[in-house]
Order: sequence, then C-alpha cells, then structure tokens
Amino acid sequence: MDKRMTIDEVIDRIPNGGTVAIGGSSISRKPMALIRALARSDKRNLTAIVDVGGPDVDLLLGTGRLAEVIYAFVGFEVLGLAPHFRRARQTQAIRFQEWTEYTVMAGLDATIKRIPFMPTHATLGTDVLAVSRVFREMRDPFDDKPIVAVPALKPDVSLIHVNYADRQGNGVILGDGHVDVLCAKAAKETFMSCERILSNEELQRFGRDVQILRVYSKGVVEVPWGAHPTGCAPDYRTDLRHLEDYLKAASSEEGWRQYEAEFVSVEQPQYLKNHGGAEELVSRLRV
Amino acid sequence: MPLIPELNVDEVIITTMARQLKGEVLVSSVTAFGSLSAHLAKRLYAPDLAVLSTPESGMDVTPMPTLTLGQFLTDVQQGIPLTMEDIFDAIFTDHFRIWINPSQIDQYGNTNITCIGDWHQPKVALVGARGIPEDTSHLSETFYYVLSHSPRSIVATVDFRSGAGNGVSRDSLGPHGAPSVLVTDLGVFDFSGPGGSMALKSLHPGVTIEEVQSRSGFLVHVPTGDMPATDLPTDEDIRVIRDADPLEVRKLELMSGPTAAEKFVNIYERERQTLHATYPRVGKMGR
Repeated sequence: MDKRMTIDEVIDRIPNGGTVAIGGSSISRKPMALIRALARSDKRNLTAIVDVGGPDVDLLLGTGRLAEVIYAFVGFEVLGLAPHFRRARQTQAIRFQEWTEYTVMAGLDATIKRIPFMPTHATLGTDVLAVSRVFREMRDPFDDKPIVAVPALKPDVSLIHVNYADRQGNGVILGDGHVDVLCAKAAKETFMSCERILSNEELQRFGRDVQILRVYSKGVVEVPWGAHPTGCAPDYRTDLRHLEDYLKAASSEEGWRQYEAEFVSVEQPQYLKNHGGAEELVSRLRV
Repeated sequence: MPLIPELNVDEVIITTMARQLKGEVLVSSVTAFGSLSAHLAKRLYAPDLAVLSTPESGMDVTPMPTLTLGQFLTDVQQGIPLTMEDIFDAIFTDHFRIWINPSQIDQYGNTNITCIGDWHQPKVALVGARGIPEDTSHLSETFYYVLSHSPRSIVATVDFRSGAGNGVSRDSLGPHGAPSVLVTDLGVFDFSGPGGSMALKSLHPGVTIEEVQSRSGFLVHVPTGDMPATDLPTDEDIRVIRDADPLEVRKLELMSGPTAAEKFVNIYERERQTLHATYPRVGKMGR
C-alpha cells in the first residue's frame, strides 16, 4: 500500500480535542514541519504527550493549540527554559500533568499491551506523585508494599520524524530512537515525516535501524529538513542560532508576531527560503 | 574558590566526581561535568566503566563535550547504540550511575528541577522531573553536583521534590535511591548527619567551615574532629580532562552573561571542525 501523503492531509487526521503524542527529544529529531503545520491550523483543545519536549510543545503553546500537556521535561537544553511553556505554567493558562521519563514510556507501553496501567516504584517519595493526580499509589497484591499504578496513555495520533522511510510506511532511525517506537505502536494512527523516501529494497539494507514497522504507520510524508530547527543525526545538527532567535522572538509580542509570520505561517518550501535556502542550511548544519 | 592560581575549580570538582565512580556500570554523560568525570574515571580509576555518549545515545564512547554533536560522536566512534529501554532497564537493575545537577538540593538530599514556588502556581517553572524519580527509587548510589553553592541552591527544604532524599521521602521507599554524595564549589558532602541529613566531608582549598555555613540555607552537620581537605587533582587528572575537552565546554557551566554568550557561539562554530580533527568519519555518516 502506498501511504504517501501531504503535510496538510496529516493535519486533517488530527481531531479537535484529540491527544497527540510527539516523538523525538527536546532539541533532537522533533517532527517540526508537521508541528508547524499543526501550529498554523485551526485545530483546538489538543492534549500533547511528550516524554522530553522542547520547541515542539513550546510552539504549540505559543500558537494556542493546546488545552493540556503531559510531559516529563520541557526545555531547550543548553539554551535554557522553554518560554511559552514557562509562561503557561506560571499563569496556569492550560492544564499540565508532570510525569517522568519512564512513566511516560510505561503509560504508552500499557496501551500497547492493552492493559489499564503499569506498576512501578518510580515517583514514590517524590512530589510528582502528589501533583500528577492520575497516578495511584496502591499496595503490591503479592507483598503488600507501596507501588504506583501509572495509567495507560492513549494517543489518538502520533507524529514522528525519521531519517528514511519507504512508501509503505517503514521508517529508519539512524541516531537515538528516543521514544518514537512506543509512540508509533501506542497511537490509533501514526504519521511520519522523513528526510527522504527510499525504495523498499534500499530500506531493507538498514537492518535493525528500520525501527518503525509499517503495520503501525498510517501515512508518510517526504519533508527534507523536516526536523529543523531541531537536529536529525546523522543528517544535520541542531540549529542553535535559529533557536536563539526563537527565544528572543518569544520574549515580546511584536517579536513573536514577526516570528510566526516568517517561520510558522509559511509552508515548508518558503520556510527553507526564509533561512536562505537549503544550501545555507547545509553549510551551517551538516556535520 | 581562589588561592592556588593554577588550580581550576572545574578540574577539582570533576576529579572529585571521577573518584566516586567504580565497578562495571553504565555512566551517564548528560552534562560536560558528568561526561568528563566519567571519562577521567575510566582512564585512571575504574577501567570497567561503560561510558555513554553525550547525550546517552551510545555506549563505550570516549566523550567529547559539545553543544550539538552527541549522537554524531556515537556515530563516528561506532559506539554501541542504546535505546531508552536499555537506559531505564540499567537504572532499574542498578547498572547505571549519573551525576545529577539539581537546581535545588535540601538538607535531606531531596532535589528539585521542576519549579520555584508551589507547583500549581509556580514563581518560576523550570523543566520537569525528567528521569530523577527513577534514579532516586532504584540506584544504590546517587550522586549530585552543584557549581554555585548558595542559599538559593543548598536549601533547607526544596520547593518541589523531583527526586527523593532521606527522611519522610523514604517512608514508602527502600534504601535504594537514597542520596550518597554532593560535590559543590566549596567542598564534598555526604548524608551521614542526624536522620540522614547533609554532612560536611571535606573542604576545597581555601574554604572555611564558616563559609560553607554562611552560603547554605541551613546549618550543615559538621562531624567533630579535624576537617580534611579535598584530595586535589594530579597533573595527570588535569591533563586527561583538558585533552578530553578541547573546546572547553566545561567552562560554560561556570559562566554567565556576555562572556558565556561569546564562548557559546565560539564553541558552536568550531565544534564540527574539532570533531572531524579528532575522529575520522567511520560511522553511518560515512555511508
């Protein structure tokens, strides 16, 4: 089956009020072309699930798409805090659930295994247990000791970005896999952007690096530089200059309006032109 | 920390951190200080350590701190690729060590990277608990470092427990995950004080007990008898650290303002060249 789609067709599949899990990790291999398209859409009241979030969650917050965020971390790593996330947390603009890196994985895994929760000792003795009202401290039925039930996380849609895919929807991830495989398996529908579409024969040469299996994917879009400004090893590194400009823009209303006009309201080809074109990105970001 | 002109505080802290590591465990390299201490330990003190790339995308990699090239470092060295399951399974089975750099640590070793103020109405929203709850419920040794010892970072009680310390935090947890060691720019501490509270173990050169007390948010327990001085780095320790960090990324963690910004840009522009000069292209990048 040929699963190639356009970015807009992917966005059409996201229901208003739906739950969207996002792959990648902070400033690494986020599906940013898809996220930008979602940010400029009229989708409303979405819940985002991220293990380690960054510019993805921050942009969706800055453009008013989200009603709730479930996260273990949201930040810009070496560049500091995420500005819209910070503002939204401090003004209590929307709902937040603070989870942890493993419990987000466990919640996705529970959905994959079709069970209601996963047990863990993680979060005992911390305030995460107190503020994440969905966790339940219970008694281990075998030895009566405290244990935490982490509820299943049920994304309607997962969005991920990979290095290569074939048109049937198998995906190759060459760098760190982060939680993309869990996102892909847990969602009702998974959509994947990729740097390049290869033939099935070419793809199969990548062996274990074919991490996304086509039975889990509903659609694939070829989007070169689709993770930019986050990095996509080994194709390109994180664009810290762009992210610094983003942070500056987010510090004032006027700056943010300009940023949106230049980099969010435009489709991917114009987005690349506004960076001086792909050649300019190659010289700054190829390793 | 002053006095001996050729003695740098970063090198004293990194050497002290390195000498805590032992055995055959995965060692996280999330920060420059963490990665350099892991590297130094493996070279001179604990040869069986399995050192991870920065961030944790591969095992048995020689770390070289950079801003964006962690996964590329794994690639060019053909490090053993790791999944998130590998990382958390190693944490749960106690085959993992990490130096955590919290925003706040309190007298019982509870740690905070989540927020300043109440979680529901934070004064400052930081990044979120990330994987600290997993570490502080499973590892038999947990290590912390703070580069600027002050009443804002070394506090009586953390605003939010991202990580579990001693005292009431242990009520529903066993001993695994309890705090072991804290290294700051003033000295070395453990948690052997009354009720598992923080106790001074050694002072860095030129630091007094009074200075430790005046720069802490509570009265640190000081055992009776002579207070030892921190063991200093040898010439070989210093050589290994400097060779492993040609870009001096470690210095960034001690800087702020325009000096830091200038250094940051300089590292970002030079780091690809430095990576290629140090390692030939042999990984998937070379395909």
